[in-house]
Amino acid sequence: MSAPPLLAVEGLSCRFGGLLALNNVSLAVQEGEIFGLIGPNGAGKTTLFNAISALTTPSSGQVLWRGQPIRHPRPDRLSRLGLARTFQNLRLFDSLSVRDNVLVGLHRFAASPLAAGLLGTAGVRRRQRQLEQRALELLALVGLEDGADLAAASLPYGERRRLELARALATEPRLLLLDEPAAGMNPAEKNDLCELIRAIRDRFDLTVMIIEHHVPLMMRLCDRLAVLNFGERIALGTPEVVRHDPKVIEAYLGSPR
Amino acid sequence: MDAGLLVQMLIGALLGLSVYLPLYCGQLSLATPGFFAIGGTVAALLSTRVPAFAGTGATSPLPALLLEMALAGLLAGLLALAIGGTVLRLRGIYLAIATIALVEILRVFNLNLPFTGGALGIFGIPQPFDSTTGYAGFSLALLAVVCWLCARLEQLRLGRAMAAIRDDELAAASVGIDTARVKLTAFVLSALLAGLTGALAAHFLNSWNAKLGSFDASITTLAFVVFGGSRTWLGPVIGGLALTALPELLRPVGDLRLIVFGLVILLGPVLFPQGLITPQLLQRLGHGCSVVGQGFSGAGRRLRGRLSGVRRP
Ligand SMILES: Nc1ncnc2c1ncn2[C@@H]1O[C@H](COP(=O)(O)OP(=O)(O)OP(=O)(O)O)[C@@H](O)[C@H]1O
Ligand SMILES: [Mg+2]
Repeated sequence: MSAPPLLAVEGLSCRFGGLLALNNVSLAVQEGEIFGLIGPNGAGKTTLFNAISALTTPSSGQVLWRGQPIRHPRPDRLSRLGLARTFQNLRLFDSLSVRDNVLVGLHRFAASPLAAGLLGTAGVRRRQRQLEQRALELLALVGLEDGADLAAASLPYGERRRLELARALATEPRLLLLDEPAAGMNPAEKNDLCELIRAIRDRFDLTVMIIEHHVPLMMRLCDRLAVLNFGERIALGTPEVVRHDPKVIEAYLGSPR
Repeated sequence: MDAGLLVQMLIGALLGLSVYLPLYCGQLSLATPGFFAIGGTVAALLSTRVPAFAGTGATSPLPALLLEMALAGLLAGLLALAIGGTVLRLRGIYLAIATIALVEILRVFNLNLPFTGGALGIFGIPQPFDSTTGYAGFSLALLAVVCWLCARLEQLRLGRAMAAIRDDELAAASVGIDTARVKLTAFVLSALLAGLTGALAAHFLNSWNAKLGSFDASITTLAFVVFGGSRTWLGPVIGGLALTALPELLRPVGDLRLIVFGLVILLGPVLFPQGLITPQLLQRLGHGCSVVGQGFSGAGRRLRGRLSGVRRP
C-alpha cells in the first residue's frame, strides 16, 4: 500500500451565517508536491487555508495529516506537526525587529529551562548564538540579511512578504501554505518568487500549497492544481487537465449565454 | 528625601512591574491589587497570629519576612494559576472588567472573613527593620532583582513569545507558540510579584485592611504603566516611582494637587502615547552610552598596553 498523502481534506464545509464559504471540498496533497489553489475572488481559498491551519473551525468534514485525523486541532499544535503558513494580509510582529520575527519562528527550538535562561548560562548563550545564526541564514535565503536589526514595520511591502516567508520556514515545516505570496509584485519579481519557491521546496524537502491569482504563473509552477468557485472544488489535476476543463473556463470567463 | 516616601515609591514600581508583565503580552489585567491584597493579608495573619513568624515583641526576624513573602507569592501565584485559564480567554476590555471583579471579590472576602479584622483590618504587624531606612534598602534590593529578571526575560524565548502575542496573537499561534500557556505564565508571574510585594507592604504599613486592594488601586497601578510605558521594564518602574511620589511632592500646593495629579495622568498618554520610556528612546540613549563605554574600554586597552609594555624587558 502506498503512503497516505501528507495532507488530505475530506468533505470540508465552512458556513459563515448564510454564506457557504466552502462546500464539501475534498483534496489530497502528496509529499513533495507544489499544489496550487486558484479561483475567483471570494471563492473560499483563504477559508480553506484557515480551516487547514485550524484558524477557522469547519462546520463539517475533516483534515487528515499523513492519513490521521487531527484531534483537537489548534494552530500551535499544527505548527508542531509541521504546518506553516503565510497570510494574504501579512501578519508580522510589527514592533519586533526583522531578526526577532524569525527568532519567534524558531520558538520551538529555543526551549531552555527558565532558571538557566534567566542566569544566561554558557550553554544557553551558545544555543542563543546558534539560533541567531540560523535566523540570519533564513534571512539571507530571502535576501533580507542586511535589514536584520530594522523594525519589521519599517520594511517595504515586498520585503515584508519575504520576511513572513522566512518566519514560516523557521518553524521547519513539512507543508508550507502560501496565501498570495506574489500579490503586489511586478512580473519579474513574480518570476523570481517562483524560482525561490522551487529552490526552497528542493532545499528543505518541502510540500507547498500556494494560492495565487496569476494563472499562467500557477500553470508553470504547480505540479497539480485545484480550482475553487463559490466554495466548491470544480476541478482538480495537472495544469494541462485544469487548463482545458470547461468548468474552469466558464468560472473564469463567465458562461456563454 | 523622606525614606518612607521612597519605600512607597519602590512598592509602586514593583506593582507597576506586576501590571506590566501581562500587558507585555497584550493582556490588560487589572488584578494586581487583588494579589497584592492577598499577599498583605497572608503576611499580616502569619506575623500577628503565628508565634514562629512574630518574633519577640514588636520586632520580627528578617528570615520570617522572606518566608512570608515567598508564601504570599506562592498563594497569589497558585490562585492566578487556578483562575487564569478561564479568565484569560477574555480579551481586551472584557479581561479588564473580569479582573476588576476579581479584585472586588477578594476585597469583599477580606472585609467579611472572620479572621481578617473586618473594615479595621489587622494591626500591630511586627517590624523586621528598626528604621524606615532598612525598608528602603530592602525594597531597593528587591526592585533591583526584579528589574534584572524582567530585563533578562525580555531577551528570552518567553519574553519574545510574549511580545509576539502582543503584536499578533493569531500569527504567534501559527508559528507554534502555545499562546494560552504563555499568557498564563505572564499572569502567574504578575500575581506572584504582587503577592510578595503585598507581604512587604503589610510590614511597612504596620497594619493591613481591605481598602488596600480596591478598584482605585487597579486604576492607579494601571496608570503607572500607561504613563511610564509598557514596551520595556523600565517604563512601569519610572511610572511607579514618579506617580507615587507626585501626590506627596505636590502637598505644598494643597487641594490643587489632586487636579495637577489628574492632569499629569491625563496629559501623559496624550503627549507620550507609548508611555514615557520606549525601546526607541532606550536605543538612542544606549547608543550614547555605548559610545562612552567604547571610550572607556579603549582607554582600558591603552592602559593595559602601557602596563604590559612596562613589564616587557
Ligand atoms: N470569518 C468570516 N466571516 C464571515 N464571512 C467570511 C469569513 N471569512 C471569509 N468569509 C467570506 O467567505 C467567502 C470566501 O472568502 P475567502 O477569503 O476564503 O475567499 P478567497 O478565495 O480567499 O478570495 P480572495 O481571492 O479575494 O482572497 C467570502 O465571501 C468572504 O467574505
Ligand atoms: Mg484569499
